[in-house]
Amino acid sequence: MREYVGEFEHIVLLAVLRLGDQAYGVTVRREIEARTRREVSIGAIYATLDRLEAKGYVQSRVGGPTAERGGRSKRFFRVTAQGVSAVNRTHRALRSLTEGLDLLRNRT
Amino acid sequence: MLDSPCLRPPRLAAWLVELFTSADQAECILGDLAEEFSDLASRSGVVSARRWYWRQSAKTIAHLAGAGFRVAPWSLAGVVLLGFLLERFSFALPERVIVAILRTQRPYSNLHYHFYVWLVTYGISIARVLQTVLIGCIVATFAKGREIVATTTLCIASRPLSVLLFFLLTGGHWPKFILPWPFLIIQVENLIGLVIGGGSVHEFRSVVARRFSRT
Repeated sequence: MREYVGEFEHIVLLAVLRLGDQAYGVTVRREIEARTRREVSIGAIYATLDRLEAKGYVQSRVGGPTAERGGRSKRFFRVTAQGVSAVNRTHRALRSLTEGLDLLRNRT
Repeated sequence: MLDSPCLRPPRLAAWLVELFTSADQAECILGDLAEEFSDLASRSGVVSARRWYWRQSAKTIAHLAGAGFRVAPWSLAGVVLLGFLLERFSFALPERVIVAILRTQRPYSNLHYHFYVWLVTYGISIARVLQTVLIGCIVATFAKGREIVATTTLCIASRPLSVLLFFLLTGGHWPKFILPWPFLIIQVENLIGLVIGGGSVHEFRSVVARRFSRT
């Protein structure tokens, strides 16, 4: 069965794709807040990223600890080829569903 | 940046977040929260940063607890059911053990009379707390990585169920020989015991994981 990603999973995957090799909890959260103007918690980001990792859509690696983080390490994420396919599939489905709908004119 | 005590994130909030996460997850989540706290404290002040940290911690705990339910909900339900059955079937065990001790040792007939009074007054309560701590430990051992989620679920699910069962068994009337306050105190003792048991197993696992990651 072809799997589509959920709304928040979609947002997180796109944020990780935009950030490239600088994608970790703080940057992903800030990217989402800046672009969607939606306040999200670190817990929501990690719960989603863990779910995406279990599906094989993202991979993570642990970086070195830093002083500003109280000596704790960062966990960097990157989107896998499978994750990119899932994003494309979801985009195609959304595009196909919105085709022909005059969303701007019908907006209330 | 985080060297000064007033620039450190709230310890209690960090500890609560840690309780709901595995050791690996805690490392990066608390690191991210500390990094944002440090940044916010230098931009908007420590008070605002602390407020933000507490708000983020509460949301993070809610999300992690929710994720704990969604990931393998049936295994969590099984562990909670195991805890509930253990509680039900071992409910009278502390009294039985203490009565057995009293029968064999007969402390009231010799110089240990004060010990006998202490055992009857406080011994059963202490034994009950130890019993629930042990049940909390067993539940947490089976709920690997979701120790606090499993024990708090057991607390939330079993207390109303116990009160309901009690009312059903007594025909909806509170028996005169059972005082409501001691009954409620026992329920609170049980809740605290379960969470202490779950927290102890979680702490033990975190310490072991940290030691392994260092070596």
